[in-house]
Formats: sequence, structure tokens, C-alpha cells
Amino acid sequence: MSGNEQMALRRRLDAMRFACWELHLFLDTHPNNCDAARRLEEYRQRLARAVKEYEEKFGPLGESSKTTSRWAWISGPWPWDIEGED
Amino acid sequence: MFVYEKRLQYPVRIKNPNPKLAKIIITQYGGPHGELGASLRYLSQRYTMPYPELAAILTDIGTEELSHLEMVGTIVYQLTQGLTAEELDAAGYTDYFVDHTTGVYPQAASGTPFSAATIAVTGDPIADLNENLAAEQKARLSYDNILRFADDPDVAGPIKFLREREIVHYQRFGEANRTELSSLPKAAWESWKRPG
Repeated sequence: MSGNEQMALRRRLDAMRFACWELHLFLDTHPNNCDAARRLEEYRQRLARAVKEYEEKFGPLGESSKTTSRWAWISGPWPWDIEGED
Repeated sequence: MFVYEKRLQYPVRIKNPNPKLAKIIITQYGGPHGELGASLRYLSQRYTMPYPELAAILTDIGTEELSHLEMVGTIVYQLTQGLTAEELDAAGYTDYFVDHTTGVYPQAASGTPFSAATIAVTGDPIADLNENLAAEQKARLSYDNILRFADDPDVAGPIKFLREREIVHYQRFGEANRTELSSLPKAAWESWKRPG
């Protein structure tokens, strides 16, 4: 149950991070595009809010060695693992 | 420097193993149009780009290709787990298995190991950026060919995502190429047209 909510939130995070990345690439070749710059800022703020919501509910994301505990870093699953459940 | 994030750019969760498909898809790991070559090509071309914005796009796309390499490796890995030797043999995986077991080795679908001969780093920004436009299309057509055989939606989903990224990168490289051409000082442009 909460597994589903966690998964859904994670998907939302991934989608927002992808939007940020796409806008970042676009701005490499369109550095003067104010509309894209504004949208990037908007997505960054939405992403920060979603990260906060996720971490309050489910604990640290644990995706970078800098923002997680030593134990979380060396624990599974790694991104290529097939996580059981369904 | 590089910092690793412990996640995939796009999720890969494959429920049904399929070694036959893994043997095809591995070509995008270490084959002639694969993600390893893509990342090495762009990250190596960066050094001699004459404008900082060109170094930026090559750094960003080269880095994204590394995350695609990881996705392809994940697909190959998940497609080959939980099978008996007999099942692997029946799927035609024996020749790969005897050398690599289920390790993920950078090779083409034909079995040829990864070769830097499949990429170009010329030191000439116009030649390099045009090389990259072709490279993105070659990667796109490889994913198109893979999609002819990938009937499992768990596999086709991430492959379609990767295919789409080639098109976006092609677009960005086209813009970078125009930036390069329009920024050339007139003297350089003249000498480019008539060497010597």
C-alpha cells in the first residue's frame, strides 16, 4: 500500500528530474531563451518540494554518497537489481 | 570529475527473462552504434571545442550517454537472470555464456568486442559535430531494429525512451553545429573553404 505510494512519488520525482535535465540541455544551445530558463526554475522548485515530501514520508532518497548514510550507500538494491514484490 | 547517482534515468523492471533478446540489445552496450562509444566520443571531443557552449553540450550529452549505458546494461542483466543452463542453451546464449557467464561485456550483437575504431575524434569541430549527427542517427536506427524484435513491453518501454533521446541529441547537435558555423571568424571560414 505505502509501497505503491512510494513508487508513485518516486516516478513523479524521476519525471521532474527529467524535465529539469531536458530544459538544461535545451538551454545549452538556447542560452538566451527566457521562457525555458523560467520553466527550468519552476521545475527545480517543484522538484525540491517533491524531494522534501518524499524524504519526510519515506526517509532519505539515498541516491548520492554525499546525502546518505554509509550504510544506505552500500546496501541494496542497486539500480539494476530486479526488486521482487510484484 | 563525476559523481554517481544511485538510480536509473528511466526505470527498468523486466519480469520475464529473454536471453535471445539480451544478445541483440547488448549491441547498444558495446557495439558500433552503442552507448559506450557515444559517451567516449563526446567526452573525448570536448577538449578541442573552440567555444565554451560547445564544450557544455558535449559534456552534458556525453554524461547522459553514460546513464544510457547503465540502462542498457541493466536491461541485458535482467533479461538473463534466473535461468538454467538448458534454458540459456535453448535460447542460443551458449556461446556468450561460455565466455562471460551472465556478466555484461561490451560487445556488438555479432560478438565483436567494443572497438574505439567505431568512433571519431578529429580535433576539428565541424567534422566532430557532423560525426555526432550521424552517430545519433545510427544509434536511433539500432533502437528501431531492436524494437522489431522486442515484443515485451517491459523491454520496449525503456528502449523507446532511449530511441527518443537519440532524436533529442541529434536536434541539440544540429543547433551546436549552426552555432559553430555562424561563430567562425571570417578568416577561419575562408581557410576552411580553401585549405592552404
